Amino acid sequence: MNDIEVQYFAVLRERAGTARETVSTAAATAAELYDELAARHEFGLPRAMLRVAVNDEFADWSRPLAAGDRVVFIPPVAGG
Amino acid sequence: MDVFSFSRGPLEPARWREALADPSCGGYASFEGWVRDHNEGRRVRRLEYEAFEALAIKEGERIVAEAIGRFGVTRAACVHRVGDLALGELAVWVGVSAAHRAEAFAACRYIIDEVKHRVPIWEKEHYTDGDSGWVNCERCAAAAHDHDHEPAHADEHGHAHPDVAADRRGHGHQHHSSAPAVPAPVSPADYSRQIALPEVGAAGQAKLAAASVLVVGAGGLGVPVLQYLAAAGVGRLGIVDGDLIEASNLHRQPLYGPADIGRAKAQIAADRLHGLNPGVRVEAHPTHATAENIDALVAKHDLVVECTDNFRAKFLVSDAVVRAMKPAVFASVHQYEGQLQVYRPLPHWPCLRCLWPDAPRDGMVGNCAEAGVLGPVPATLGALQAMAVLKRLLGLDGGEAPSLVTVDLLTLGTRRLIARRDPGCDHENPGPAATVDEAPLELEFTTLAEAFESGLELVDVRESWERAHDPPGLQIPTHLPLSELVHGHSEFPAAGRYLIICAHGVRSLSLTEHLRALGQSDVYSLRGGLAALRG
Repeated sequence: MNDIEVQYFAVLRERAGTARETVSTAAATAAELYDELAARHEFGLPRAMLRVAVNDEFADWSRPLAAGDRVVFIPPVAGG
Repeated sequence: MDVFSFSRGPLEPARWREALADPSCGGYASFEGWVRDHNEGRRVRRLEYEAFEALAIKEGERIVAEAIGRFGVTRAACVHRVGDLALGELAVWVGVSAAHRAEAFAACRYIIDEVKHRVPIWEKEHYTDGDSGWVNCERCAAAAHDHDHEPAHADEHGHAHPDVAADRRGHGHQHHSSAPAVPAPVSPADYSRQIALPEVGAAGQAKLAAASVLVVGAGGLGVPVLQYLAAAGVGRLGIVDGDLIEASNLHRQPLYGPADIGRAKAQIAADRLHGLNPGVRVEAHPTHATAENIDALVAKHDLVVECTDNFRAKFLVSDAVVRAMKPAVFASVHQYEGQLQVYRPLPHWPCLRCLWPDAPRDGMVGNCAEAGVLGPVPATLGALQAMAVLKRLLGLDGGEAPSLVTVDLLTLGTRRLIARRDPGCDHENPGPAATVDEAPLELEFTTLAEAFESGLELVDVRESWERAHDPPGLQIPTHLPLSELVHGHSEFPAAGRYLIICAHGVRSLSLTEHLRALGQSDVYSLRGGLAALRG
C-alpha cells in the first residue's frame, strides 16, 4: 500500500466533497487509482474526459505510482 | 457659423446644433452655462458680461481648433453671451458633433474648460444687496490652470474656484443636453508607469502599440482582458462576441451596466474601451466565432485571447491558431477555480486538443450559467490572461515551459502542471475528424406550442431548480435532468423521436451530439433553448 496525495478539481472536487486527501492505496497506476476513487466518490466523469498529472506533470493513465506521489485529477472547464 | 462668436441677444442652441449636423456624425454633445443666483455666499440678481472681443475671438477660435485636432471630432462651435443677463439665462453654449460620442463629450468638455480659463471675458455680478463686483476669467486660472490634472468637475459658468468639486454638488446649473456625465478631458495616454519598468521602456511600449490582439468572448474573462490591454496601449483590439448583455452577466462583467441589457456585448465593449483609451483602435465583431469566420479573424491579428464559456469555441480557436501558427492564451473557470494555458506555435507546445484529445461536450462539466461563479474568479483569470498577453508581446516569457496553470481562489493555491505536445495530435491538420451527419442537430421553433405540435417528444434536461420558476401551462412533462444522465442515475430512452430542451440550447445541443455519436439518429436540440421562444 502506498500513501498518495490526491487533489481534485471542479466537478470532481464537488463530488468528492474535498479538494485534497491522502489515500492509502494498492493502485499501481494512475488509472487504477482513478477507478478506485471514482467508485468510492461516485464520480460520473469517464476517465477519457479527464487528465491526470503526477508530481506536477501531465502523465499517461498508465503511469506507475510510487509512495508520496502527488496526483491531480483535472476535468476540462469551460466557464468564462 | 463662426466657430467662436459673441452674441448680444439670447443664445439659440437649436439653430447652431443644426449647423453642426453631418452625415458622418453619430453623436452630438453640448454644454450650456447658465446664470445662477449665488456665488461664494452672496445672492446674485443678474450678470453683465464684457469681452475684449478681437482678442477673445482669436483665443476662442484657437481653442475650438485645438479640440477638433486633439479629439478628431467633426465640427465644434462655441457662442458666448455679452451684455446684461437675467438669472437662468444661457450665458455660454458649446456644441460638438463627431462620429462617436466619447470624442464629442471630451471635446465639449475641453472647449468649455479652456474658454473659461483662457478667453478674456469679464463678468460683473450684481448682488441682491445692491452691491456689484467684477470677476474675470483670470480668477479661474489659478484654480484650474492645468485641466489635465484637475479632478473631474463641471463648474457653472463664471464661478470656477478651487473647490469646484464640492461646488458641483450644491447646485445644478450645468446642463448637458446629451447626457449628464461627461468624462474628464482626454489627454494622450500616459504610459510612464509601465515604461518605467526596465523590461518595458519606450521600445516595449512601441511593441504594444504595434500589436494587434483578438479577444474572443467579452464576458467575465474578456472584460478584464480588454480593459487591461486597452489601458496598456495595445494598438489594435478585435472583440468577437455574439451575445447580448444580460442582467445575469453584470455581477462579473462590470464593464457593463443595467442600461446596456439587451445590447450587443461586442459593440458596448468597444465603445467603453474607446472611452478608456481613445488611442487604441477597437473593432467590434458582434457575432459568435464560427468555423466560417474564425480563420479570417485570426489572420488579422498577432495573438488571440480565448475568453468564451464553451468548449465549442475554445476548440475552434485552438484549431485556428494552430493552423495560423499564432500564439493564444486560453482560460476557463469553474466556480472557484480556473485554468490558464498559453499556446505558442513552437514544436513542443501543446494545443488544447493535445491536453483534451476527447473534446469535452458543453454542459457535461458545467459552465457559469449552470455551476455558478463569483465575479473575482473570472476577473483573476482574465487578469492573468492579460498579463500573459503583455508578457508575450514584450518577450518576457522566454523561460516559460508549456503548462496548464490551475488557480483555486478559495485556498489561493496555484499549480503549474507541465504539459507536452501529444504526438498523436496533428498540428498540420488540426481539428476533429470530419463527421457526416445528414440530419440537423438543432431545430428552431418560435413557441413551445409549435414545438409540441412537431410530433417530437419534448424532453426537458434542465435541473429541477431551473424548472421551479416555469409558468404553469408552459411546463414540459418529460423531465430528465442532465446531471442525472451524466452521473448515470438515469438513461436517455433509446427508442423514439425527441426534441431536447434546456435554458439556452447549450446543454441540449451537447446531449444531442452525444446521443447521435451513440447512434441515436432521431434526436434534436431546441436551438437557443427556452430563452429563444416567444410566449
